[in-house]
Amino acid sequence: MDDIDAMFSDLLGEMDLLTQSLGVDSLPPEAPPTSQKETPPMNFSAGFTDLNAETLHELEDNDLDALMADLVADLSATEQKMAAEREGVKTPHSVPPLAPAALPTPQLQSDLSQPSPSSSSTTSSSSHSSSISPPPPPQSTKPSKEEIEAQIKADKIKLALEKLKEAKVKKLVVKVEMTDGSSKTLMVDERQEVRDVLDNLFEKTHCDCNVNWCLYETNPELQTERGFEDHENLVEPLSAWTRDSENKVLFQEREDKYEVFKNPQNFYLWKKDKKSLMDTKEKDKELLLEENFCGTSIIVPDLEGVLHLKEDGKKSWKPRFFLLRASGMYYVPKGKTKTSRDLVCLVQFDNVNVYYGKEYKQKYKAPTDFCFILKHPQIQKESQYIKYLCCEDAWTLTLWVTGIRIAKYGKLLYDNYKTAQKKASGSSIWTNRNISSQPTPSATPKAKAANGHAPQPPAESLPKVQGNQAQLPPPPPSLLNDSLPPPPPDPELPPPPPMPPMTGKSATMSSSGFPGNFPPPPMDDLPPPPPDDETELPPDFLPPPPPVMGGSGNFGATLPPPPPDPQYSARTSTTDSLPPPPPSPYAAGGVPPPPAPPPPPPPSAPAVRPTPSVKKSAPPPPKRTTPVQSAPSGGDFMSELMSAMQKKRSDQ
Amino acid sequence: MAVWDLSVTVEELGPDAPPLKISVTSDLHIGGAILKIVDKTQIKKDWSDHALWWEQKQQWLLKPAWTLDKCGIHADARLSFTPQHKPLRLGMPNGITLKLRACFSSSVFRTVMGICKLLNIRRPEELSLLRPVEEKKKKKDKDVEGEVYDITCAPLPSGTVLTLANGMPAYFADSPEMEAVYKLLSVSQPAPPPETIVKMYRPMNVVDKAQVNGRWLDSSRSLLQQGVKENDKLFLRFKYYSFHELSPRTDAVRLVQLYEQARWSILLEDIECTEEEMMLFAALQYHIGKVSLTEPQMVVSSPAMDDLDSALQCLEVKMEGGQNNTVDDTMTTAPELHDYLKLLRPKKLTLKPYKQYWFKFKETSISYYKSKEESTKEPIQEMNLRGCEVVPDVSVAGQKFCIRLLIPEAEGMNEVYLRCENEQQYSRWMAGCRLASKGKTLADSSYSSEVQNIQSFLAMQRTTPRTDTPQTDESINTHSLVSPRYQKKYKAKQLTPRILEAYQNVAQLSLSDGIQKFLQIWQALPDFGISYFVVRFKGCRKDEVLGIANNRLIRIDLSVSDVVKTWRYNTMRQWNVNWDIKQVAIEFNGNVNIAFSCVTADCKIVHEYIGGYIFMSTRNRDQGDTLNEELFHKLTGGHEAL
Repeated sequence: MDDIDAMFSDLLGEMDLLTQSLGVDSLPPEAPPTSQKETPPMNFSAGFTDLNAETLHELEDNDLDALMADLVADLSATEQKMAAEREGVKTPHSVPPLAPAALPTPQLQSDLSQPSPSSSSTTSSSSHSSSISPPPPPQSTKPSKEEIEAQIKADKIKLALEKLKEAKVKKLVVKVEMTDGSSKTLMVDERQEVRDVLDNLFEKTHCDCNVNWCLYETNPELQTERGFEDHENLVEPLSAWTRDSENKVLFQEREDKYEVFKNPQNFYLWKKDKKSLMDTKEKDKELLLEENFCGTSIIVPDLEGVLHLKEDGKKSWKPRFFLLRASGMYYVPKGKTKTSRDLVCLVQFDNVNVYYGKEYKQKYKAPTDFCFILKHPQIQKESQYIKYLCCEDAWTLTLWVTGIRIAKYGKLLYDNYKTAQKKASGSSIWTNRNISSQPTPSATPKAKAANGHAPQPPAESLPKVQGNQAQLPPPPPSLLNDSLPPPPPDPELPPPPPMPPMTGKSATMSSSGFPGNFPPPPMDDLPPPPPDDETELPPDFLPPPPPVMGGSGNFGATLPPPPPDPQYSARTSTTDSLPPPPPSPYAAGGVPPPPAPPPPPPPSAPAVRPTPSVKKSAPPPPKRTTPVQSAPSGGDFMSELMSAMQKKRSDQ
Repeated sequence: MAVWDLSVTVEELGPDAPPLKISVTSDLHIGGAILKIVDKTQIKKDWSDHALWWEQKQQWLLKPAWTLDKCGIHADARLSFTPQHKPLRLGMPNGITLKLRACFSSSVFRTVMGICKLLNIRRPEELSLLRPVEEKKKKKDKDVEGEVYDITCAPLPSGTVLTLANGMPAYFADSPEMEAVYKLLSVSQPAPPPETIVKMYRPMNVVDKAQVNGRWLDSSRSLLQQGVKENDKLFLRFKYYSFHELSPRTDAVRLVQLYEQARWSILLEDIECTEEEMMLFAALQYHIGKVSLTEPQMVVSSPAMDDLDSALQCLEVKMEGGQNNTVDDTMTTAPELHDYLKLLRPKKLTLKPYKQYWFKFKETSISYYKSKEESTKEPIQEMNLRGCEVVPDVSVAGQKFCIRLLIPEAEGMNEVYLRCENEQQYSRWMAGCRLASKGKTLADSSYSSEVQNIQSFLAMQRTTPRTDTPQTDESINTHSLVSPRYQKKYKAKQLTPRILEAYQNVAQLSLSDGIQKFLQIWQALPDFGISYFVVRFKGCRKDEVLGIANNRLIRIDLSVSDVVKTWRYNTMRQWNVNWDIKQVAIEFNGNVNIAFSCVTADCKIVHEYIGGYIFMSTRNRDQGDTLNEELFHKLTGGHEAL
């Protein structure tokens, strides 16, 4: 416990240093680039909560949990008590009490949010290692301030350079909806592939990592959905979304994603009767894959058959005999045979993607609901440039969509599959390890962190945290987590407020003794309240506006809490649950000194775009626009902090 | 033991010389007989390549330890003492004819191995020899045949072949002529004049396509046994469409010859493709031809490096420049294009003329203003070309240089026409549009080559196509790049823009990438790799077609000319040939039995095809270049082999 106290004070000291030095040096250079690059400032509207969650996640990834924990502990000594009480109640109402805690959040958030951008690129990898060996903060060693300072300076130069480069990189805050309707928010930069993002989500959700997990894009306007391929960059397609888009990104298991590699016979020998295909031997499947995906050229399934095509700009659907070739999709014109030379090309795949169409029977009077469309990814609304096709049954639809993907992506698909398989097989080991490590108190928190969500209901988590860590087997990083309220704890960030005042507070903290109780890492768990807002969970949660007010007392001055933006209305309960404080955090960003440049979120956020996924599901109470800024400037501080921390640890 | 006279013809004694008579006994072994023959000729030379050929029995006497008796040779035998390696005229896939020494005494399989070794083609098992079509016309053809490149002076390769750094066998460096031949083999041939293509034989249907497969030589017997004479002409072709480990580094000749075979199969409609595919093939041919002319050098433009460069540049600016924007304008000014161009936005039912604006091309965006003077203000519109479709709409004759842009937007595609004044202007803007559509800027290193590509392509339109000239530097008749069907369908100037359109996607490929891309698209064609035979299934009265591919057999009903049944090899249990009634019987899993007799080819050829593909599938990666010849013969040989 003593250690923790000591560490905490160290941390606080570090942070002070960092904030001071960083703010000045690194920030300036970056700012210009961002503003220039990022074109018209796109505001990012991300849910407040989301941001918090996001930032917290990042922290975990970077082993900063300890820091967080300390801070939280500090702030929330009182809060915790309250929380504990609430939890006992286990009602959403508990939230209000938390609110006060939330107030401080603003600062934390602002700080945190900044780091995320910088860290984002590395997240996946770094998080990996960290999760495996949860490095409890080095408690014993307390590097002298001078040492730290020296290190920091050296790092700063590097960081500044990196930042400059990073400033060029477009980043998006992406809200990803889970199967249960809850959501997670991630920072994604344009260099990241969907695979990286999936890995990231695997860590956050502790799902089973099987190959079927994928990121899905939905477009309510067109009623389409499409699974992103693992090798695609996520930022690019999301950039095509319109500002007012209601599109979402979902994190789901989809059988059809790699079905062709699991049962190639169903695609390549589709003409044969189903029964005989049922008992295809593994050896024969391998042979098929070898023949079709491992040769000098990829072989596309020889699909052919009648599909209904919606004529350009007309309402009617006409049956035509279609054939799939590697070079595109063709149909047989009237009165001709299906010899190659007579075929008419409907579309080549270079510039279009294939999307499932949902309920087109109703929307477009399609003959069946098994439709797909081919369109340029940039097209977001109905247009004559979209090709609408309708299949007879679900299986035919799968055949064609898969066939077109093979024609378009070729061997990449197979490579993706193999990577996904490796990931899946590796993950089991990884998870096990994680779990095993949990027993130790410190480990526990980590595990949770990995989950990203406070495991289950916040209420539970709280008690654990506070009470005995030993007892607390980290909430199982089970699948449940996904459904669980995501990283609730973080967003809540009730604890953070102390941040700025940290030093001073630290003293108090230690005295309170809370810290002692707390396992440093458990951070996440601590702020039980967050869960609520995060997840759509219990809508019950009262929006704790009042707390805000209280918080405002502290922050109020700094924070001009951005009024909930209309955009956000989309976000529902989550936001609701969030007490107004969230906005404040940004405002907090405005806070003078170190923390963050974030305050002016819109400008700062260079790459910012409209949050990709707005949650519709949530009941739409208040919305907030959080301008997330991935602004590099903000990032500097945080990233420096993180790197300093890491360095410190590694040195030790 | 009785002594008797053996008569042996020795070519070296002259065509009219009477056969030599040597006295032998029946227990004399072949080696001894040869010794006696050589003595008797009294000619001093290297006889080591000579062997005895027994004309009546159509067989070589290659086992020196066997006695005459064991060979069944009696006094009535007429033997000839002849070299095992004789000159052969070999038609290569790229159309040139080589004269080289080939082995007439070993199995064709081995002969091909020898030829391939000589020519530096790896994986000889994939190739074989094809008899020419029997020519009814007389001597005329001899003239048409064109030059024969004589490389009979090359040593017979034995053991490992010494190769130079570029992979060329050392003996090709012996003389400039030899080196020229190697270049012919390893560099693709210029596009043929369109008439040549039209004149050549083209199969019109599956049955026609089946004919060629009746002409394959038997791999398990020797050339002489199959009636091939010295100086006869045969074709070397890739027979099994299963190409093991093509690698540009070691397979210069193999890749080029394969490409040529593929190209001719496209041009002669031996394999069918769609119009879109044909345009892409044409574009690739044009590109490959063009790159082959300039010394084949690998120009690798890696997008990653470009990005890095520009990133570094930016970094520098940022570091030095600080807040000052002026730096941007001076040091690293990104290249821009400015010009007055005419713009048209086609709309339904309205006929608006092109209207002139001042255009600015920066990064990946085009913006336009009312006039040059207003260019400091807000543009009327700015269009980001990333991901857009760029289609040329050009007619040199009509002096029309339009660029059609289909710019994707949320609501659909924004269609815009830009009209340029002249070729130069067009080339610059077009190149910019193309790069921008791929997300590259004018600063990209490929910009200038892109401009050149466009100009040279325009040049194709400018020169009136002269049909008799093959592809020279920049002029080419686009009719040379497509099959006669499309020559007929489109005029050259209609063809050019279409090929140009396809060309923009391949223009940056290196030579070997271009060739490989061509092969990939070829291999992805649905009908790729199927060898046809007209057969008659047991119990059926009509002719049907059997297609043999590397992984399956297909049965094609001639009346509907469509595949009615597919059998994959991995479900095959066994196959047998009844040599007496010339019938092939195959048994598949699940008690499926089929049997057929072959109409357009000997059943040995069909048998060899099936066995050959199964052999090809047994090759694997780590095996290297070693060839399991025994297994091949086991799988493809007739009853003699077993």
